[in-house]
Formats: sequence, C-alpha cells, structure tokens
Amino acid sequence: MASRGGGTPAASGASGPAELQLPQGPRGLSPPPPPPPRNYADHNAPRRRRNYPPHTAPRPLPALARVSREEAGGGNRWAVTGPAMADRRPRARPGLRRSGHNARAVAQTGSSVENKSKSVRSTLAKQGLGVFPDLRNGTPRLMLKRVMQNQPQVSPLAPQISNHEDTKEAHSEVPSQRVSSMGELQLPDVAPEDTSTTVFNMKKKRRKFSISEFERAAESRLPQYQAQSALDSTVMTRSLRMSVGSLLAPDTVEKRGLLRRPKTRRAVDMQAFEGRVEQNLLKSKGQNDLVDSQSASVIRTSMLTSDAEMMMNSTELFVQPLLDEESQNKLSALEPQLSDSKTSAQRSPISDADQEEARLEGLVSSVSTNQERTQRYSKSTGLDDEHVDRMSHVSPETPAKQGEEKQDHSQQSNPVAKISVTEEEVVCTAERGASAGHSEHLEKKLAEKAELQITAGHASRGETEVAPSAGKEVEEGSTGAHSSPRAEHEITRGIGAESLGRPSHAFSSFEKPEVTPVDEIDEQGDELQDQAMMLNLDSSVGEPAEDEAEQPESQEVSMKTPTFVRAPPHKLLLSAKPAKASAPSFPQSSPLKLLQPKTVPKRLRTSQKKPREPQVPRSLIKAIFRHFAKMPVTRDAFQIVEKCSERYFKQLSDDLEAYSHHAGRKTVEAADLEVLMRRQGLVTDKMPLRVLIERHLPLEYRRLLIPVAVSGNKVIPSK
Amino acid sequence: MKRTAPRSTLRKIIKKHKPQLRLAANADLLVHLSFLLFLHRLAEEARTNAFENKSKIIKPEHTISAAKVILKKSRG
Repeated sequence: MASRGGGTPAASGASGPAELQLPQGPRGLSPPPPPPPRNYADHNAPRRRRNYPPHTAPRPLPALARVSREEAGGGNRWAVTGPAMADRRPRARPGLRRSGHNARAVAQTGSSVENKSKSVRSTLAKQGLGVFPDLRNGTPRLMLKRVMQNQPQVSPLAPQISNHEDTKEAHSEVPSQRVSSMGELQLPDVAPEDTSTTVFNMKKKRRKFSISEFERAAESRLPQYQAQSALDSTVMTRSLRMSVGSLLAPDTVEKRGLLRRPKTRRAVDMQAFEGRVEQNLLKSKGQNDLVDSQSASVIRTSMLTSDAEMMMNSTELFVQPLLDEESQNKLSALEPQLSDSKTSAQRSPISDADQEEARLEGLVSSVSTNQERTQRYSKSTGLDDEHVDRMSHVSPETPAKQGEEKQDHSQQSNPVAKISVTEEEVVCTAERGASAGHSEHLEKKLAEKAELQITAGHASRGETEVAPSAGKEVEEGSTGAHSSPRAEHEITRGIGAESLGRPSHAFSSFEKPEVTPVDEIDEQGDELQDQAMMLNLDSSVGEPAEDEAEQPESQEVSMKTPTFVRAPPHKLLLSAKPAKASAPSFPQSSPLKLLQPKTVPKRLRTSQKKPREPQVPRSLIKAIFRHFAKMPVTRDAFQIVEKCSERYFKQLSDDLEAYSHHAGRKTVEAADLEVLMRRQGLVTDKMPLRVLIERHLPLEYRRLLIPVAVSGNKVIPSK
Repeated sequence: MKRTAPRSTLRKIIKKHKPQLRLAANADLLVHLSFLLFLHRLAEEARTNAFENKSKIIKPEHTISAAKVILKKSRG
C-alpha cells in the first residue's frame, strides 16, 4: 500500500486536500475505537429483496475479506457509501481513512490502489460506525435508504443497488459476516449485472424495438434467468421475470393488434347518393310541388351549376314573372315525358362522359343556375330543373353541384319550368315528326336531349317573343337535335346568350349566329353558358305564351334544314360577347372558364387582351412609399397610392410631350425632365437638379447622369 | 433596401401613353427620379394628414386627400 501520504490523495479527491492538511487524526479522532458489537437482526429482518445467508459463515481474514469485498464492489460501494460517509463524517473520514490506510498498509501490500481505497473505506466505515452508532440506522437519510432498499425494486439498476446495499451492510456489519454473503452475491453480482443491463436495455429498447424482437429477446433471456438458481432468489430476477412476463403478454396481444386490418371502404355510389340527395330535396320542398319535387330531385342530383353560372343567372331576373302559371301547366304536362326522359337521361349521363355532356352540363347548369337565381317560381322550376338536371347528369360534378342546386332549386322558378316547357315543346314538335327525332335523341343521348330541350325551350321562348324568329329557333333546335347534339348544344347556348343580352329581338337575331358558331361556342364555354342562361331566361319568359304558338311554328321550323344550325360562328361569338359583356355575370365567367375544358380558357385569353399593361411593380412602390412615410400604411392606402402613381405617369407623359414639342423635338431629353421638375417645384434655384440626383439615386445612376470630370480632360459620362 | 429603377417598365408606360414620343438615353432615370420625389411628397403629405387625425397608421382617407393636393402640384 502506498504511503499514507500517497494513499490519501488516491483515497478520495475530496478528502485529499483535507487529508493533506491534516496529517494526523484531524478532528481529534485518531484511531477511533473499534466499533462495539451490534445486533444486526433488525437489519436483516426487514430485507425482502435479498436472502442473505446467515452471517455465521466463517469469514476469511477480515482484511482479506474486506479487501475482496471492496474489490468486488469497491467502486460501487464507494459511490454509494463515499458520499454518505462524506456527508456524515467529513471530518472523520480523512482521519479514518488514514487510520485505515495505516492499518491496512501491511495487509494490503499487494492490493491495488483501488483495493487500498476500498479497504480504507471499509475500515473507515467500520470505524466510523463505531464512532457514530446512530448513523447506521438513525439518520433519516439512512432510514430512507433502508426503506428504499427494502422495497422491491424493478429498476434495472436494482442489482447494483443491492450490491451497494450489500457493501454498505458489509461496512456496517462485521466484515467477517459479510464475506460469505458478499462472496455469494459476487457471483450473482456479475450475472445480475448482465440481467440488469439486459433488463435495462430491454426496457429501454422495448419502446423502440418491435414487439417481435422484444419477445424473442425476452424469451431467450428468460430461460437463462430461470436456469440460474441464484438469480431466482434475488429480487432482481423476480422483478425481471415479472417484467418479462408482463411484457410478454401484452406483446403477444399487441402483435396481432398492430397488424393493420385492411380498411373496408365502400365505394361511393353515385346513384345512391343522388337518390338520397333527391330525397332530401323532396323532403324540403315537397310541399311546393309534387312535380317539382320529382323533377327537382332529378335535376338537383344531376344539376351542376357553378357559382358563376348561378351568378349569371341573376342577370335574367327580369324574365321571370310571367311564366309561372304557364310553365306550371306545361310542367305538369311535361312530367310524364320528363319522367321518361329522366330515366333515360339518368342512364345516359351516368354512362356517357362526353365532353358534350360536360359542356351541356355547364350549359344546363348555367341554365339551371339562372333559373335558380330567378327564384321566381319553385313550382315551375321543378320540371325545368328536371330537364336541366338530366342534361347535366353527365358530369361527375353533379354531387358537388347538387348541393348548390338543392338550394337553388327552391329558388328556381320559371327558368327551369321554361326549360321543361321547352322540352315539352320540343317533344311536341317531335311528335309532329320533326320533334320525334328530338325525343329519340333525348332518350339516346343525354347531351342531345339536353340540347334539344334547351334549344326547344329557347326556341319556344324565342318564338313567343318574336314569333317569326321563334319558329326558326325551334327549327334550329329541332334541326340541331337531328344534326348533332353539338349543334343543339350550341344552339341552346346561342339562344341562351341571346336571351341574356337582348329581348326577343336579339333572340331572333342571335339564333342564327348562335347556331353557327357551334364549335366556337363550345370552346368558349363561358360565353356559351352565359348565353345559355340568358336563353333559358328568355325562353322561360316566353314559354307559357309561346308554347301554343310554338307548336305550329315548330313544325315549320323543323322542316327547315340544319343550315341555321351551321350559322356562322362569328356572329354568335360577337353576339355572345356583347351579351356577355352586358351581363353582369362577367366576373363570374372566370370560374366558369375554369370549369370548362382547358382549351376553352386558352382561347378566351388569347382572344382577349394579350399584352398586359405595364405597371411599376407594386412591391417597389410599396417599398418606396413605406420608406418615405416612415409609418405603417394600410393596404387600402397602397391601392390609392398605386392609382395615384398611374395618374401621375399619365400627367408626366403629357407634360413631357408638351415640352419636347415646344422644343421642336420628338425625343424627350434630360432638359425636358428638368423643366418638368422645375415646374413641379422640386428643382429650384436653391436646389439644383444635381443635388436631387445625388440624394435620391444610387451611384450607378448618378454616374450616368452627372458628368464628372476626371484627369486627362476627360468627362464621364462622355458626351 | 432600395431596388433598381424599373427602366424598361417606365419606358413602356410612357410608350403606352404616348406612342409617338421617344425617350433619350438616360432620361428614364430622371423620370424615375421624378417619380421618387412624387412618392416622397405624397408620403409626407399623407403622414401629415395622419398626424392631424392623431392616427398612427396611414389610412386611405389620408392618402386620398394627400393625393389631391400633390397631383395638382405635380402637374407642371
């Protein structure tokens, strides 16, 4: 063992300096008397965690025992007992250690420093305990410690703690008695350490690892633990087994639970949904009209009205008032027909996914929306809605719009009814022969039908307003139906456009152009929809009166060739455009555009203003203004600033032109600008332009504007 | 924090208003300068109005009244 002087620093860092200071029994405690014999029964009794073998086993030499003991749990013991001892006997420690060292010097010659320290510790402990008998159990700290130790611990560090406790007990008790127990515990010390570590790992990893992995590990380890008899008795193993067992059970359960069950989802049944929607609508509006409810449900389910269309519908409000009664009558008449067409229509839209149908939907939806907007007569709208809905059945947007339509349906009035009326008319005409084709078309193809209906409705309406033209419209409608659903569609659109912008006069005039620009209209869904809506309104207005008149006229019209259908598209476009422009629905046209196929918006944009107005970037204006204002500025104020700047530039250009013209030049020069600024009051005799330039412009621009003379008779910028 | 003057944009604006008018080489920089000074005056006026209203934020009404005055001043 190293000399006491050398050993003291090794004993403990904290006590080192203290020891150094006190070479001898520092606090008056030179070799403390040996501890009196103690009764450790109470100490052993409460312990449940460990089964200490009776301490009667003969122990090896106390020194050796202590050494071995200390060696085994030296580090741990020191960790546990050192601070405690230090706390308890700060003064005694150093002395004790020294004395211990002295006592051990001979016995532990071969032991390592650790052993020496450990032996010192053990001796110190013994001596300390002897000096302070109460410290063993008396202090609250010790009592707490014992309580904690006695409690069954499941922590991974339990074995170590138990080891600590063992070492502590060894210190307090007679060392010889402890040797055997320590020896016994040493073996399990090693094993429990593993178990503790493994338990620790397992516990920690349990959260991260998969259940199966844990189970495997637990199962692998469990038999090991069980095999070790020594461990069985220890609290550690018990706790471990408990934990493992408990973990195993839930794991197995969780394992299955973790497996995700395939979610069983039912595909949304469009028809069922639509049916339910209809039912809802029926409930809500059942009172209004039986007819309406039927048609409305159908229409609602199939109606696809965009917001834009709905907005556009509002433009046709003026058309409404007359038609309710007539439309209602007609609606009732149309019901049976509608019901037939309904079924077919429903089938067709669901099955078909034509672009036409989509367009038709848009058209129809626009029509329906128009109708909705008008809100005139819900009753009449019932039938019309039906028609419209059928036509719009096609698009998959139905569910989305159905909601809208539901709401709108209540508001829908004549327009829808008118549509249905027109359908009726179409049907009537069809009966005569010309319309027969229409009815056939209706059943075959939803789009065609819708077109027919729309066109018929429009046509019928147009007729009332303009008798001669009406016939043509019907004719066109009928012919369109025959010729192509597209034509009809377009016709209806055109008619709609017509009706939107103008009264019957325009209607007739629009007829022809509407028919022709079929293709273009289709592409310009927006306009067409507007037109269609307008047409619906117009048709609805004229429906009641027109119905009777239309029938004879329709016959004539149907005779005509589809030439009208092929009317030059340009006219329709032109008519559509003004109609559209007049309609306040212009702002809503953009959403309609979005709904349209992609080709449509492209065309529209190209035909419209292509060159964008050059503007000073907003961010720049904002930055400059904010810098100059030095105060927070509201967004609305910025808008005003932007408008002011635009006005300013206009004024500026006028002034510059005047100045340059006054100077006989066609180019604005810097001199003109200076004159302008002088007149503005920015440049004065006191404030030359140069100063302003230097103040507000960055260096690059300053260099360009202000001539600077440099050496060599050079002026920058060179003129 | 100041950014570069949008020279081409200024040219386009003047061209839009007066297509027959041409601009000299660095005249658009002076146009930008005049625009800066115009905004400066506008901001000062709006700020004054806001102060008079005991408001810590420049509101649209302050700006409008300021614009009336400054635009008239900047007519040349």
